[in-house]
Amino acid sequence: MPMQRSYKYIMYATKQPSLRINQADLKCKTGCGFYGNADWNGYCSKCYRNQMEQERQKRPRHAQSQPPTHHGESSKAPVPPGFSKFEEKKKQQTDKKSKYLKSLPVFRKASNVKDVGKPEKHVNVRQTNPDADKLMAEFLSKYGHLGDDVRKDFLKCIQLFTTKLLNEMETKPIDELAEMAQKYYNLYNSRINSYSIYTELDGDVRIELEDFFEKYSMVNLYTWLFCPSFTNDEEKDLSIQDRIRKLNWVNAHHLDCCISETSLEVRDLVYAAITDLLGMDSVKAPQEKLQCVVKCCKSVVEVLQHCQGGPVSADEFLPALIFVVLKANPARLKSNILYVTRFCKDSRLMQGEAGYYFTNLCCAVSFIENLTAESLNMPEQDFHAYMSGEVTTVSAWDSALVACEGMHQLCEHLALLKMLKERNIAIQDEKQELMEDMKKLKEHIFVRVSSVLERTPLIIKPRELPLPLTDDFESSTGSLMANVALVTQKMARTNKDKSKLNLDITPCISLPPEDGDNERNKVIQDQLSPFNDTQSLDGLITPEENSILGLSKVNYDIDFSDLSADNSMAEALTPEKKCSPTPSFTPDPFSPVGTSCTITQQPLIPFSVPSQISTVLEPQKFKDEFVIPFLEDFSKEKHEETLLDKVEFTPTSNLPPPLNPIKPEYSGFSRQGFKIPNIPCNTGDLHSLTLEPGTSKQE
Amino acid sequence: MANRSGAAQRPNGQTQGKICQFKLVLLGESAVGKSSLVLRFVKGQFHEYQESTIGAAFLTQTICLDDTTVKFEIWDTAGQERYHSLAPMYYRGAQAAIVVYDITNQDTFGRAKTWVKELQRQASPNIVIALAGNKQDLANKRMVEYEEAQTYADENGLLFMETSAKTAMNVNDIFLAIAKKLPKNEQNAGQTGNNAQGRRLTEGDTGPKTAGNCCK
Repeated sequence: MPMQRSYKYIMYATKQPSLRINQADLKCKTGCGFYGNADWNGYCSKCYRNQMEQERQKRPRHAQSQPPTHHGESSKAPVPPGFSKFEEKKKQQTDKKSKYLKSLPVFRKASNVKDVGKPEKHVNVRQTNPDADKLMAEFLSKYGHLGDDVRKDFLKCIQLFTTKLLNEMETKPIDELAEMAQKYYNLYNSRINSYSIYTELDGDVRIELEDFFEKYSMVNLYTWLFCPSFTNDEEKDLSIQDRIRKLNWVNAHHLDCCISETSLEVRDLVYAAITDLLGMDSVKAPQEKLQCVVKCCKSVVEVLQHCQGGPVSADEFLPALIFVVLKANPARLKSNILYVTRFCKDSRLMQGEAGYYFTNLCCAVSFIENLTAESLNMPEQDFHAYMSGEVTTVSAWDSALVACEGMHQLCEHLALLKMLKERNIAIQDEKQELMEDMKKLKEHIFVRVSSVLERTPLIIKPRELPLPLTDDFESSTGSLMANVALVTQKMARTNKDKSKLNLDITPCISLPPEDGDNERNKVIQDQLSPFNDTQSLDGLITPEENSILGLSKVNYDIDFSDLSADNSMAEALTPEKKCSPTPSFTPDPFSPVGTSCTITQQPLIPFSVPSQISTVLEPQKFKDEFVIPFLEDFSKEKHEETLLDKVEFTPTSNLPPPLNPIKPEYSGFSRQGFKIPNIPCNTGDLHSLTLEPGTSKQE
Repeated sequence: MANRSGAAQRPNGQTQGKICQFKLVLLGESAVGKSSLVLRFVKGQFHEYQESTIGAAFLTQTICLDDTTVKFEIWDTAGQERYHSLAPMYYRGAQAAIVVYDITNQDTFGRAKTWVKELQRQASPNIVIALAGNKQDLANKRMVEYEEAQTYADENGLLFMETSAKTAMNVNDIFLAIAKKLPKNEQNAGQTGNNAQGRRLTEGDTGPKTAGNCCK
């Protein structure tokens, strides 16, 4: 029963670069009207089969000269010089092998006495094949539940098949072995579909079993059937490898293939495809090899999709695959293809995705084998120059590989840097956030502290102050005098400096202390400085007239908070400075009241306060020895003073909005300052700050 | 292939033999719209740049014809002249072929004729060949007359339609016509003798092959 085996078609295409040859040449030699094939010595499949049959009958059983003629070398008109030698060697090898096989009693007997030979044979095969053992374990775990009958039958068929094939190996050419394999696949198929033990099985399980049958038997026989020594597969491998090596100058452009060789991503994808293709050699079962081909082809499709976008048709796919095969130059390419075509189930190669892609691979290989100048659309001379190595080009691919290696690393590093940068940014952001949080927290704490401070000094300070005030009434009168002087001075200043005054006064008006507060204030002020009553009353009456109660409270509070803030800021900003006022303030509480009051004015007065005023005022307040240096220094220290003022004020401006109105506060304070004796601590502080170089030294 | 189809039919129980799988090969010069035609048929789409479709080289589509389910397995071929010699590998074992040409390009029609000739000579004798004059939407630039192609098709016993992958005109029709013309009557015979004669399906170039053409 003659059959058209797929690989013969492949070879057919291989040997026929163009179909545009004489029609008569295509016909079978016998003139039966069918087409012949160079691989079948120009016969059609049927006639070739008959011919072979006849020859076989004529010849003794193990005529080893047969296989080579079967394998189409005859069609290669010029036999390579080394070939005859190779053939001899091969013959020797096969002879040796057959002798060896024959010397084993098992091998001889097996064909005749099946029952005895089989188990031994099977053991023999299995011992040499760890992969088969693995598969068997897989089989047992997968199909163990199907029952012993199925397993036994499966193993029986496998044994039958493997022994038969091994026995026939010495006598029959590889084609027939392939046919035999196909026959056994079908046998098992029919068995699985007809035997009672399989009837319960699901359709899918049956297919799996069939596939497994093929897989297991082929893994078992791999050593014998893959690139068998009695064929010239190895020769073919070497020749295609050499051919591809010679064609290493072919680039994507030559093939009209849109693969951009220099693109990094494309290159990676091509690498993936190449890896998949190379993987074909490392697996044993035909199915697995096919899967590698499918994987490779899918990668190629991906490459193309990356390069051109849109659906990938065969017009683009085949050139790309050829390119990949050329660049991969897989080991034992031809052996693998032949092995798959021979021993893979026919249906798998004729149909389905795997079949399609495998056909494409065969086409690619065939194209490479028959590549001519014409097929690359280049002048004959150029082609020969390239092929003979006269012209050596740095192929884009190779140079790309070299260049890309660096590029690749560069890119990796860039990616790394990018990642680091991103992380850094994230950290920065978090840092910023944290800073803001801290700032908020700080402000919050500040507000809290200031609010606490604003409350506490009101309670605490009166307790402290009344004692000295009451005790040393006389001394405080001095301060009263100073206060009066201050008021007068202030009046004078208001006249002089109207713009400032407006600012100063308006807050005063908008600072109407609430009734309760007012009273409290009064009480406090009464307690603190009874001699201030009149002035305090003046200050208090105006707000009452306005009677903006809600605001007044806030402002009132702020008024103090300002002071306390000043205090706290003084603490916070100039702790070392704080030290100086405190001693000066605490030991003699009497004089500070006066001095402090007057000095309070100075920092609180906007920076533009004319120096004259201060000069006018200062002598009144301070002793001569003290004033003079101060005055002398004053012009110089003016900057410092303003700076210090700024220092005093900036923190207050940092306060949250409700506490913010600085101007009203300080002006209001400027008005109230002398009414409220507890302010001195602040003023003393300021005083010390402004006059620090002079006073601190003197005190 | 026999095994495969036998198994594929089995799960269907009663509908056994109603599923026919055919291998259809696409031939034609490059850029005549082979893949567009198939994409239109398989995905119902026509996009010049289409993201969703990964490969258009190998596609399958199932259509229902009366009570039979016909599954087409469509093999695209590279149309460039330089790959012409590889075509036999593709159409080996194919039950149907669509030879596509571009009606706006006389050369592609010439190439189509070559393909037809080659198929008749080399492919399996029962192969159903359809001739498709694609790009019918560009009829105003027509270079190949409808009558000319029709006459040629009649002479060679081909199915013929002018199609447009862009407008979908006649796309499904041509596949349907092929499905109708494909021999499905042997499916039952194929079914019974499938397993036992599985190997015979590819036998030679004559009679027995017909039996195996369907229901692989």
